Amino acid sequence: MRAPFRLQFEQRTETPRRLGVLVPLISVLAALFAGALFLLATGHSVGDTYSNMLSDGFFSSTGITDTLGLSTVLICTGIAAAFAFQMNLYNIGGEGQLYVGMIGATWFGLFFGENLPSFIMIPLVLIGGALCGAAWIAIPAWVRARLGTSEIVTTLLLTYVAASLVNHFIYRSGSYFRAPNSMFPQGRQVPDSAMLSPIGDTKMYPTFFVIVLLSLALHWVVRRTEFGYRIQVISDSPRAACYAGISARRTTVQVMLISGGLAGLGGATLIVGSFQRLDPGIVTLGYGYAGIVIAALARNNMAAVVVSGILFAGLRSGGDKLQISTDTPIHIGVMLQGAILLFALGGEAFRRYKIRIVRTPAVGSEVTA
Amino acid sequence: MKRMWKFASVAAAASMVLAACGGSDSSTDTTAASDTTAAASEPAASDIKVAVVYLGVPDDKGWTYQHEQGIAAAEAETGVTIKRVENVPDNADSEKTFEQLASEGYNLIFATSFGYGSPMAKVAAKYPAVCNQWATGAKFLLTKDGGGEYATFDDVPKNLGTYFGAAEEARYLSGLAAGKATKNGQLGYVAAFPIPEVIRGINAFTLGVRAMNPSATVKVSWTSTWFDPTKEKQAAEALLDSGVDVIAQHQDTTEPGVAAEAAGAFWVGYNSDVREAAPKAFLTAPTWNWGLFYAKTIEAVKGGTCPSDEYYGSMADGMVTLADPSELVDADAVAEIEAKTAAIKDGSFAPFTGPIRNQDGDEVLKAGEKAELGALLSMDYFVEGVLGSPKG
Repeated sequence: MRAPFRLQFEQRTETPRRLGVLVPLISVLAALFAGALFLLATGHSVGDTYSNMLSDGFFSSTGITDTLGLSTVLICTGIAAAFAFQMNLYNIGGEGQLYVGMIGATWFGLFFGENLPSFIMIPLVLIGGALCGAAWIAIPAWVRARLGTSEIVTTLLLTYVAASLVNHFIYRSGSYFRAPNSMFPQGRQVPDSAMLSPIGDTKMYPTFFVIVLLSLALHWVVRRTEFGYRIQVISDSPRAACYAGISARRTTVQVMLISGGLAGLGGATLIVGSFQRLDPGIVTLGYGYAGIVIAALARNNMAAVVVSGILFAGLRSGGDKLQISTDTPIHIGVMLQGAILLFALGGEAFRRYKIRIVRTPAVGSEVTA
Repeated sequence: MKRMWKFASVAAAASMVLAACGGSDSSTDTTAASDTTAAASEPAASDIKVAVVYLGVPDDKGWTYQHEQGIAAAEAETGVTIKRVENVPDNADSEKTFEQLASEGYNLIFATSFGYGSPMAKVAAKYPAVCNQWATGAKFLLTKDGGGEYATFDDVPKNLGTYFGAAEEARYLSGLAAGKATKNGQLGYVAAFPIPEVIRGINAFTLGVRAMNPSATVKVSWTSTWFDPTKEKQAAEALLDSGVDVIAQHQDTTEPGVAAEAAGAFWVGYNSDVREAAPKAFLTAPTWNWGLFYAKTIEAVKGGTCPSDEYYGSMADGMVTLADPSELVDADAVAEIEAKTAAIKDGSFAPFTGPIRNQDGDEVLKAGEKAELGALLSMDYFVEGVLGSPKG
């Protein structure tokens, strides 16, 4: 039997302005509705759960500062992903570049920290982390530019190598990064000069403002500079770019190095912020992978990443806190986070495609088996 | 069009990775959910609020499961309802969790993983009225000398205590069963990380094995994870392929036991008595009984004091236990286990009593000499009979 109709996806040449607002709004409402059904089915209060999630994520004073603190690293990995994605370079390995950024930042902190003052150390550690993140993507960038090797595979696989490196530097006895004398393998704390203090009584660090400014600056670079123009031309049409004398190879390498550097910078913000040492526990947090989703929610717009990064952080922070503020088990918090993201990303299809119901011809123009 | 789908699938895969990271085992949700709700809806029998922070979920059949048994027992004994906080990664990020618990008026917080120590201490300093207890911790590790933040011991917050126990006693006893069970004298040990706690356990096990079979060897395979069913199973299978006929473990799942059973070998478990996972292989298992400590600490906090000492439990006080040997354990071994259990409990015997030689054949403990607690807690060498490197 054939269905009497089928769905047809037609790509929109232009997205109506109202859809740009309506689609995300309806997506989030649909996600909340789906989540509500799940909450009702498991016997939890819908109102309590949502109001607690919102207040823990965004509206209470500790809620919003926790969220902004967490968003710092997420915005970094978000712009890292978005910067590469906008040239159709899929750097999936922001997670690994983040680890290597942490390793690099810790090394700079430990090596120079005793002798240099804070106003030199903080920028040095941040830049050191970024350089190491860029170094970690250098090989994928080069083989992509030279041989066309899929950067999806190379960057992702290098993430596992980076995770092993972090473990190696902490669990190998006598490692430079490991606390000496400690019976338990744990990272050595960077000197005071390489640490920032949180803003007041919060878990937010001044790096948040630096990263927001950096995102806006990158937005400007993409929109207003010759470099940004090159990226646009290459992503729209590599052939046209070639004809215009733009070197796609060189730009590929540049864009990927910047992307890796931004992810590495994210790792460095953790070192000068809450982590203060190389910690193998980073591999359970998935901040780098989160950047991919954040970039997707922001449609690879550097400035919008700030907003989607904060939303994502609030959702995560609020969802994680649900199990303490209410009696909702952690799995429900995680499920709600996932549902909202999935609906928001799924809604994209409605923005980009016109979906039409097409009747299938009733009489046998085709043979049915 | 094609590009869009590629992109969407990558993003969707990524969000799934995220979801998987947050909640490690969704198939176990329902039971956990209903238990928590039922417990929370009962009125608390006391006005103190107690919470426990778990690295994983309470039904992992390993480390967290065993703590959950103790927490449930303590609830029954004290009448206090305890809040479970699950799936909290043990790194700097966990500070938020401890802070939220403290600010919501919890009086007593148990943290069940090593990595919670430093974040917990920070919050303890900020909320001096909250009593904090750190499992597997040691205050030395919070001082500058131990790699932590505090200049001296005195600077470590006073409202922080630690608790752990002498698992090496039960490890030794389980080694007696394994040493008698092996036919070819080759045993395997699936181990998490090369740290003193694990090294101590491997050594104690090996001493027990060689007390029954002086030429036996214990081959160590490191997994670099506490909890990873697949890796643990693969490590056990590799050991079994190399010819060992007993598998012991310092891991959180029962997968090494499943692998041992499939290969027709014996298995010494860890953490909890879950012999039903591999009934044809199970010999015994060193296990934990956390409930006594939890109940005692809750009573102390009810009475207005916060224990701030470093509690090191043992078989004598019941924190460390050995699962009843299965019928696969030889009667001679059972008799020897019973004799040594009594001797350990009355203090006349300790597993680490000389003469003990390290892997290179150098004597580390003279005949009759007992290892001191400090030496046990910082052990970084393997004893004679262990094959593998204590550096991982």
